[in-house]
This record gives sequence, C-alpha cells and structure tokens, in this order.
Amino acid sequence: MVKAFSSGLSSVLSGGADTIVARATAAGASALAVIRVSGPETCRLAGLLSPDINMASPWRAGVVRLHDESGVFLEEAIIIPYRAPRSYTGEDMLELMVHGSRWIVDAVVGTIISAGARQAAPGEFTRRAVANGKMDLVQAEAVNEVIQAETEWQARMAREQLHGVLSQEFRALKDALVALLAEVEGSLDFEEQGVVVDQGAHEAARKGCVARIDTLLVTVGAGVRVREGARVVIVGKPNAGKSTLFNTLLARERAIVAPTPGTTRDVLEAELEIEGLPVILVDTAGLREAEDPTEAEGVRRARREEERADLIVALWDVEDYNTLCFHEFKNTGRRLDIVSKADLAEQQIEGVLAISCLTGQGVDQLLEEIHLRVAAPVAAMEGSVAVNLRQAEALLRARKCLETLISVPQEVAALEIRSAMLALHEILGSLDDNEVLDAVFSSFCVGK
Amino acid sequence: MVKTWDVVVVGAGHAGIESAMAAARMGATVCVVTLHKETIGQMPCNPAAGGIGKGHLVAELDALGGIQGWAVDRAGIQFRRLNSSRGPAVWGPRAQCDKERYSIMMRRLLARTQGITVIEGEANRILFERGRATGVGLAGGTRVCGRSVILTTGTFLGGVLHTGDDRREGGRFGERPSVGLGENLREMGLELRRFKTGTPPRLDRNSLDYTKLEIQEGDHSPQPFSWRTQAVVNRAVCWVGRTPERVREIIEENLDRSPLFGGRIDGVGPRYCPSIEDKVVRFPHHKEHTVFLEPETLHGPSMYVNGLSTSLPADVQEKVVRAVPGFEKASFIRFGYAVEYDVVAPKQVAHDLQVSSVPGLYLAGQIMGTSGYEEAAALGFVAGVNAVASLWETEGLRLGREQAYIGVLVDDLVNREHREPYRMFTSRAEHRLLMGVDSARERLMSEGVRLGLVPMGVFHVEQARWEKRRRVIEELEAGAVVPDHLTQDRLHKSLGFELRTPTTWAGILRRQDVDQEHAAAMAPGLGEMSAEDTAIIIGQLRYSGYIARHARERSRVERLRHIQIPADFSYRSIIGLSREVLEEMERLRPNTLAEAERLGGMTPAAMSLIAGRLSTMGRD
Repeated sequence: MVKAFSSGLSSVLSGGADTIVARATAAGASALAVIRVSGPETCRLAGLLSPDINMASPWRAGVVRLHDESGVFLEEAIIIPYRAPRSYTGEDMLELMVHGSRWIVDAVVGTIISAGARQAAPGEFTRRAVANGKMDLVQAEAVNEVIQAETEWQARMAREQLHGVLSQEFRALKDALVALLAEVEGSLDFEEQGVVVDQGAHEAARKGCVARIDTLLVTVGAGVRVREGARVVIVGKPNAGKSTLFNTLLARERAIVAPTPGTTRDVLEAELEIEGLPVILVDTAGLREAEDPTEAEGVRRARREEERADLIVALWDVEDYNTLCFHEFKNTGRRLDIVSKADLAEQQIEGVLAISCLTGQGVDQLLEEIHLRVAAPVAAMEGSVAVNLRQAEALLRARKCLETLISVPQEVAALEIRSAMLALHEILGSLDDNEVLDAVFSSFCVGK
Repeated sequence: MVKTWDVVVVGAGHAGIESAMAAARMGATVCVVTLHKETIGQMPCNPAAGGIGKGHLVAELDALGGIQGWAVDRAGIQFRRLNSSRGPAVWGPRAQCDKERYSIMMRRLLARTQGITVIEGEANRILFERGRATGVGLAGGTRVCGRSVILTTGTFLGGVLHTGDDRREGGRFGERPSVGLGENLREMGLELRRFKTGTPPRLDRNSLDYTKLEIQEGDHSPQPFSWRTQAVVNRAVCWVGRTPERVREIIEENLDRSPLFGGRIDGVGPRYCPSIEDKVVRFPHHKEHTVFLEPETLHGPSMYVNGLSTSLPADVQEKVVRAVPGFEKASFIRFGYAVEYDVVAPKQVAHDLQVSSVPGLYLAGQIMGTSGYEEAAALGFVAGVNAVASLWETEGLRLGREQAYIGVLVDDLVNREHREPYRMFTSRAEHRLLMGVDSARERLMSEGVRLGLVPMGVFHVEQARWEKRRRVIEELEAGAVVPDHLTQDRLHKSLGFELRTPTTWAGILRRQDVDQEHAAAMAPGLGEMSAEDTAIIIGQLRYSGYIARHARERSRVERLRHIQIPADFSYRSIIGLSREVLEEMERLRPNTLAEAERLGGMTPAAMSLIAGRLSTMGRD
C-alpha cells in the first residue's frame, strides 16, 4: 500500500497526469451541485477561479466568490481543497459546491476547462484512485454499486465492499497462493540446500486455498439475490388463483383477473422488495393440456419459468386439496406448495399452508415463507460480501488451476499456481512481480 | 601513430573475458586492460560454476559460442546435475572447478587468441571523441584509444573489504581497488549504488576430520557443458557438514562486532547469499545450517566453506568454524570477508548493454549489479557482440524473455529497480518450461552461427540430434497402443497399470505414475536413444500440453503485434498498468504492439494487458 502510495505521489509531483474536472452530482436543476477537480494543476486552477481558495490549508471548507477568466463574477461557492495523497484520487483535488443550475455548473466547469483542465471521462476519478493505490479494483467496483443501491441489502453490501471487506478476503487468498508458490519455487531453485516441499502440508495448503475459493463462490448466488433479486414463480393449474395471488402480493391490480380458466397466457413479472431484498415475482399460465396454440405457448413458457425459478410457489385449488393426499404437497427450499381459496374450505386444512386472497388469511405467512427461502443464501454469508460475476469467473479459473496441480510435475505446478495468482491479481487490479521471490527468501534459509 | 583498437575492455574477469573473446572472434581488435595479468579469469568466491538457473546461463552462453562452458569442462573436477529427478526444464548442471587451472587456461586463451592485446594498468577515466566513449585513460597518463569501451570492473569500483573492525580498501583479497573510475562515472552523470557481497573462510584440507563429515560425490555419468567437449570425469569429492546450535550463541555474543550489524557496511547484500550471521539472525528457529566443503584446486590445501560466508572478526570466525563437528582443529588459510563496491544503477543501460546517455560505453558483470560468474559471463558476451555489431552496423544480439535466460537477465536488469545484487533463478523466467538446459542449443545455436561464433558443422550435428528427437516424439504420438490381452499383460507386468482404453505411447509416458525407465525400455524408438535424449523426450511429452497452451497465448499477442494501436487509444482504460508504463506509452504513443514492446519499462504482463484491451476493442 505504501509503495502504491508513493508512486501515486511521484506521478503527481512529476506532472505525469493531466488535470480533470466534472460535475459529480446528477444533471438537472437542483438545490446544490458538486464539481470535482483532480490533478497536478489543481492548485493553479484554484487560484484562477478565486484568489480566496487556500490550497495551503486543505481539508477545510470555505466560502469563496468564483470568477471566470475575465474576472466576471460567477457564483458564491463552498469549496474543500485536498492535497495529495490524502484525497479521493490520491492527487491534489478541489470540490466546489454551487447552486444546481445548469448555467452555473456549465460556467464553472467551462472556466476550469478553458484554464487547462480536461472534462473527465466516466469513472475517471475512481480509476485514478485505483492507479494511485487509494483503492483496489474490487473496491472501485463497489463505488458504483453504492451509488446505484436501491434496497437496504444492496447498500449494506456495497458499503462493506467499498470498505475493503471483500478485498481483504481476496488478498488473504492471494497471500495463501503466494506462500504455496514460494514453497514450490523454493524447492525448484534451492533443492541443493535442502528446501523440499512437505507434501502433506502442501496438499493441506492447496486444499485450504480451494476451500477459500469455494467459500467465496458460495456467495455468488447470494450476490445475485441481493443485486438482481430472486425469481419467485407462481405456478398451478388453470384457475387456481395464481394471478389473484400475484396481485395480492404486489398489492395492486397488475394482471387481468377473470374467472375463465386460461386467462393468463403469457408470463407476467413484477418487482417487489421483501425485507430489504428485491424479489421478481412471476405469474404464469395455468398448467394443462392446452388446445389453443397461444395458450400452449403460454404453458411452455410457464415450464421454462419453473426451471429458472429460485423459488416455485405452486398453488392448489382448495378442491384439489380434498382429492389429494397431504404428502403430495411439497415444502422444500425451492418449492412451496400452498392451497388457495381457503375461505371456501369445507374442512380444516392441515399440513400445508392455506391462503385466501379474499380474506387475507395466510398472506403474511406466505410472504414470510418466501423471504425465508429467498434470503437463505444471503443469511448463510454471515455478514461477508458476495462476489460478483467477474470475480467469480476469475475465481473459477484459479480453482481449476489448483485442481490440476495434483497430477503434474512441480515445475508445471508452479505455472498453475502462477495462473491462479494472476486470476487474483486480475480481481484486485494489481501486478507485482517480486512478491514470490520475497516470500521465498523470507520463508527459507537459502543461499550459501 | 598511436595504436587504436575496435573495442577496449576494462577488466579480465568472467565478463571481460567473454566480451574480449566474442569481439575478437567476430574479427574486431580488442585491448584488455587489467590490473594484473596473473589475476585474469579468477574465481574469487566459490570454486564452482553452474547450478539451477546459473547452469541455464552457462548452457545458453555455450550454445551461442561463448567460452565459459568450455573452460568449466576443462577445469572441472566434479560434475553434478541438480534437480536431476525432475523434468529437464529445471535441470541445473553444476561443476566444481580447479580455480588455478581455470585461471591459467583463461590467461592462455586470451594470449593466444588473435586480435586480443592484454595490457596491465588501472583505468581511471573514460576518453571521449565527438561525444562517444572511445577509450580509457590509465593511471600514469597512458591513453588506450579505441572505438568503444566495455567496463567489467567487478567489485573493484570503490571496493572496501571488511573483516570485523578491520576495514581496508580493496577489490579482492590482497588487491587494491579502482578509485578514480567511479568518480569519473559520477561526473558523467551516472547514478551509482553501493552493493555488498561476502565470501567464507578457506580452511586447510589437512586439518579437518572427515569421519565427522558426509561425502558428496559427482554424478555417475557426468555430462559436459560445452559442445566443444566430448566427455568429462570426476576427480574430486565435496563434503557436507552441519553447524551446531553453539554457533548461534557464539554469533549472538559477538554480533556487535560484525560490520554488517554494527552499521559499518551500508551496501545492500544479496538475500540469496546470506552470511552466517544473517542466517542466524533471520532464522533463529533453525537449529543447524548446512555447510559444504569444496576443494579450491585439485591438489592444493585450500578448502572453501560454502555456507559460512562471514565478515565477523578473525577470532570470532575461528570460534565459529571450530564449533562445527569435523572442523575442531581447522587451520585457516584465509578469513572470510565482505566487500562493498559501487555499481551503476542498471536502469541507465539499454538492452544492448550500452549506457543510454553515453554512446560507445558498455557495461557487463558486477558493475551492472549482478552476482555470479555465470551472470557476468553472459552479460560480457552480450556486450562484446553488441559493441562489435554497432561498430560494423550489423544486427546485434537481443534475446527475448521467452527465448533465453540471458534475455530474462538483460531485460530484468535494464527494466526493473534492483536493490540487491541480481542472481538468476528459474522462477524469474515466466517461460521456464520452454527454456530448459536441454533445449539451449536448439533455441540459440543458430544465433551463434549467425554471429560466426559456432561452426556450421557443429550446428548440423546438433540439428540432426534434435530432429531425431522430434521424429521419435512424432512416432510416440502416432502409434496406437490397443488394450488387447497380450499388451495389457505386458504393461501390467512391467509398469503395473491396467490399460483399458486405447492410447499412444506418448500417452503412457506422460503419466506421472509410470516409471520412466521401464516405460522407455518398452516404447518404440526410444531404445536407440541415449538416456539423456530419452529423459529429454519424456520431459517434452509431459510439458507438451502446457507448451501448446503457452504457444496459443503467444500467438494471440503475436497476431496483435502488427495491428495499429489507434492514436487516441486510452491506456488509462487499462487497469493494472503501472504508472511508469502508462506514462511512457502516453508520451511516445507507439504505433503497434511490436513497437510498444521495445520501449523502456515494458513488462510481459503489461504487454498482455495492452494486448487484451486491443483484442476486446470494438466489443464494448
């Protein structure tokens, strides 16, 4: 970290990077807008905007009057100066808070650009932060997720990832791989001096790495749940009341409900949030041998939805309950059988959840059951952060390398561990050539 | 009329000799300036050459037409291949040498090689002509004039020797350092750095108790390094001993008297060549440390105590050595010492080993921050060839990282920051599987032929050998082995495994659980190959999947090499690119990847990152 820090600093001192500017808040009229400037020219630009900006006293807010290049008054702004490396990007920075008027923002940004700065590309401030070692790629990915978070869980997970919770796990895994490789490399280069790979310990370390990867990979499902939501698909025979349930759960009229069997011919989706987690609720066509080709297509689609579902809510008409044995109802992690129209029941319904959309009986209980199942993988993470698909892809590659290790000579095994390490570096967005040799020398007494 | 040489070489150690020999054999006239004619071709530290990584360098140098392998074969008294139980990529041939014989041979070689003149003197400044380094001035005022200069000053630049409190100026034991030249380089604006290395005590062979030591013999069928050598024999043995725990106590009691820990040495020493005091401090949980006793000459009394490198005061050295079982009555021929010396920060040197800011001036060996005879020789050769090629405006020698360890050596030195003397390890080579000692000639001999340093006839003999290996491999890959009863029975009996599905002999030989020797005896075509070639073939079969994968990755980069890099290409969009590379790319904006590869600071990892970005362009 220290190393990355200093290289960032030196790039600023040597004037390697140019200076960028951009509006940080969303476009459109608003009470306030924030403009950010970052780069080696920040101090000079600040002086041009207003003689009152004191870059020598950073991290302190001040009120200043901004002028354009010809001295025309633009706006009174609140400013915060930052000095490298203690800033978001690791470079000298200036943040300006102005009124959120399109004209004012354009005028201030335009003045800064005509004084020598460049309009920042999307994400460029964060990219500079990565290049200067202020954060790694995993943290950088979280920046956008924090901004985009719409549910409580999304915000919580993105925040933790930004704080480096996930980075730490990747780094620990990478360090374990470095240690694993150092041992093999040590034995390849220093066999003469008695450095040998302890097969038992080596295999245990390898398995440890695989286990770490698996623990991380398990969270992929949870990540998808948190980021994209779970697909909860309502299925059942025609006229079992699927669309009524769909609407009840959404608490609004979304599907056309009619007493004619086969009314819903296509698939309907809607999003809702259950206790902080997004859920995509899917209504399907009733399952039966359809004669109408359109309805038959609807049935086919329903079957496909069933396959994709994270949770299937199978709805049975109360009449079916009378003819079926209770053990034919399923209640598993992925499938929940329930009986509808409970208000029409002639007897006590037992062994299966019964609901009535008319009276509201059992609906809250159903929501709770859905949440329990949908949230299960998220709960299983126990507070850690889920890996995203990019990270998971690299982890799978690393895992494959670690699996191959067992059956190859050591000089080839070294290559596989290196590939696994490379995958981790890809995740973190870092490259360091010397860490393996450093590890060899610090763990073995080698050399004559 | 003052005599003018094509190349002036300062120093006649391992680097200087290779520089001079390569240049002279390419037809240039060479003047070698050395402090003493008697100290040409010395092995001032351990009496051995080669090893893992280093042996690769010797083999490659030999394939290119260098001298070191030839000399080691002739001065060698014990030959061992390290890592012999592993695949050919990591074999490490090593030889104990008779130091005196080595030095005498080198002296004679320089004397009898046409075009080489050796003169004694201390070079203390570089001479310039029209901005180009062309010669050196000697202490006393003599001028050695030439057309280019190669500096191979070893540890002599500002050298200081330490034994305990005793501190004296010197380049090696009993030899004075070179002082003026370092100053002169500084004046030329070059950045110098202070490095340190050390050497262990030498003991009298007749004062040791061998019953308490373990013998270490050479290989049963020792292999020579050079294509110039038919065969070599083992004439001597080494001994292995272990330091007891008492050694740690002795050292800890006297640590304040060590120049290393007492703060008298500022130079940075190599971590892979630690002194015994270093080892004890850094690895306190190690109860014992191995020491190797190596004869310095075939018949002389001096034994080198490998593993006991130290700069402790003489009386402490005596205590430490005599605590080792077998060394109780050891008498010292020489005490160990540390040497501090100046090196030129190698980033100031280009891939042809020419100092970037001083045309005509080349560097090789320890002055460039390396450690070891082999590294020095390899660099000396590269500098010698390139100095001549530049004078004659012909193509020089530039080896890639995937082509040779010598390529890795040069590239690492000129592209990266180094805070300690650089030594070769196989782990430095990302293309390790492609660059075994076994394939050195196949990889590099054609370059040697091109430079005129390897005779065509020799090349044809070698070519026939590797082509035969290739034919056998094709045969092994092609011929099917069908699991009929007879074959199953044979395989089960001699190799102990059940064959169920049809395969090839190559498939069987690739299996880790199959005994190589037994399988080779049964496989077609291998019977007529030597044991050496058989092992190489099996190694190549086992690596083939990886080599193919590697080739696919290479060809992806290769395909992209000549694609135009758009003028507005955003290097900033590539995450993971170092600041140095990024700034260099933005400043110079290379047109193609091939051009980018030649820029300073470019690493293979950075290349693949840029290639990756180029190949996905247009997709997002």
